[in-house]
Amino acid sequence: MVSKVLTVPNAQGFHMRPASVFAGAMAKYPCNVFINFNGNKYNAKSTLNLIAACMKCGSEIELVCDGDQEEAALAEGAKMIEDGFGE
Amino acid sequence: MYKGIGVSEGIGIGKALLIEEHSLEYTPKQVEDAAAEKTRFHDAVDVFCKNTQAQADTLRKSVGEKEAEIMLGHISIVQDPFLLGEVDKLIGEGQCAEAAFDSMCNMFIQIFSAADDDVTKQRAADVRDVRSGVLGILLGISEVKLSDAPAGTVICVKELTPSMIAEINKENISGILTETGSTTSHSAILARVLEIPAVMSVQDITKAAKNGDTVIVDGSKGTVIVSPDDEQLRCYNEKREKFMQEKKELEKFRGKPTVSADGTVYELVCNIGKPDDAAKALEFDGEGVGLFRTEFLFMDKTSVPTEEEQFKEYKKAAMILSGRPLIIRTLDIGGDKDIPCLGLAKEENPFMGFRAIRYCLKNRDLFRIQLRAILRASAFGNVSIMFPLITCVEEVREGKALVEELKAELKAEGIAYDENIKVGIMTETAAAGIIADLLAKESDFFSIGTNDLTGYTMAADRGNSDVSYLYSALQPSVLRMIRSIITAAREQNIPVGMCGEAAADPMMIPLLISFGLTEFSVSAPSVLRVRKCISAWTKQKADEAADHVLSLATEKEVRDYLKTV
Repeated sequence: MVSKVLTVPNAQGFHMRPASVFAGAMAKYPCNVFINFNGNKYNAKSTLNLIAACMKCGSEIELVCDGDQEEAALAEGAKMIEDGFGE
Repeated sequence: MYKGIGVSEGIGIGKALLIEEHSLEYTPKQVEDAAAEKTRFHDAVDVFCKNTQAQADTLRKSVGEKEAEIMLGHISIVQDPFLLGEVDKLIGEGQCAEAAFDSMCNMFIQIFSAADDDVTKQRAADVRDVRSGVLGILLGISEVKLSDAPAGTVICVKELTPSMIAEINKENISGILTETGSTTSHSAILARVLEIPAVMSVQDITKAAKNGDTVIVDGSKGTVIVSPDDEQLRCYNEKREKFMQEKKELEKFRGKPTVSADGTVYELVCNIGKPDDAAKALEFDGEGVGLFRTEFLFMDKTSVPTEEEQFKEYKKAAMILSGRPLIIRTLDIGGDKDIPCLGLAKEENPFMGFRAIRYCLKNRDLFRIQLRAILRASAFGNVSIMFPLITCVEEVREGKALVEELKAELKAEGIAYDENIKVGIMTETAAAGIIADLLAKESDFFSIGTNDLTGYTMAADRGNSDVSYLYSALQPSVLRMIRSIITAAREQNIPVGMCGEAAADPMMIPLLISFGLTEFSVSAPSVLRVRKCISAWTKQKADEAADHVLSLATEKEVRDYLKTV
């Protein structure tokens, strides 16, 4: 299991577009991917889960990958968040 | 008569078709064969995706790419791995597909509805739409097929969903009535694009109208009549004819330049309050934006929006307009508006108090952030800056000095902006009107805000019913003020626009042509009407009208005369 603590940088946070792009990217990996935020654990392959989490600009979150290709999943996921989903 | 919000202009007369929702009730039951139930569920999801894809394709053709994307979003919701996994789990525990899917959807609807931002709240409507679609398929309910509605149908429904709109054959639908929604709802935008008269948020209309009742939809006024009498029918049929006739006349002006009868070209742009409204301005054939109010960025916020947040919004509007003019007005607030994130103090006399440019020049950090954001957005379009409530030359100088300072800052940081960005002012106070000649030397353009100019010139609050009779842009004093502002601008050779309601007033337009206004900034739905009105006047005829008006002593005389020209 690998993880990284990140801060959501884009103004709108995880709204519909970033959430679906992110969930889609994570779904490619066989490992489990989830996000710990505000004491809850969210399935990061699920757009609905990501939207429900209400992660805003400035929110501190932990991205966790567990299983096959966990390193690659963490690297790509962390980069997407750090880049603010290209917004 | 019922009242609602008119969201799509025009008169629609037809027979009510009620679209009911109660049909999705089911009796939860235990299932024995979980594997078969899962297959039943996944088959329903597949059918839903296929239907939705087809609706998206129709919408792409009838309305546009963006609306089709909403439908495709529904597919990604129903295919969500978490949602599907949980539903399978519940079915495995013995629940039927309907109950399992329903409970998962309701969970997300509740979470999204409870969110504190509107964007997330809107997602609840999407999930609700998906829920109805899939449950309908599972229950084998054949929905009322809107595509089969006969000619002359008025749709009555609690909430109009994008999937319903996708089914609409615009030739057959005379009107739309809903119990929810407003001007900015997706369904309202779609109704306008399809040019179907629509009234939304009509309370209990699905109870008031029965299937087959004759219904009159007045989308311009936002009113509805169920089972009208003969006299009402005759009257509305006439109105409808007149509306269609006028619309046909106005459509001739779409895509044309704004030109007077003797060939002078004017700029006809729109007033907007949000970046998305820029698209609406173009939809109504506006030639750009003459006033972008920026207060929306500060409303309902817990903290002041960052430079990045503001930049994105300004850039968005600039990109939508792709090179057409975009005049961004800097923050125009005062103690009469509740903007929690600024913590404005209540004032004795807010309209003459610490507001707009006065506030911004004293709160430099706030002003710098906004100006930097606007400057950065200027790299992406034809952007100008406009300062509100100017009363003296120093305010213009100070504001412009700050703009120059920030330009140098951006240059040093290697950030792109428009080096030649224009900086203009709102002339909306009596003081600005009187020293317009001095201000014209310091500004790249003027925009006359007639709403405030009238109030400040007449010293009358239009919200106060005891003095509102004084509040009129046709008062001789206000007309003289407007004329002297326009004259001062023309003498300095700077553009001068008007962004108040008067710019779209057919009585005012000949006077503005005579005085020499160069730009009209109006609400989007007024664009074609104003273009038509301008096309009817020559300078000579306008001068004759204006000369006579300036010889009149009272507002009533002015009004009575202008009604006759």
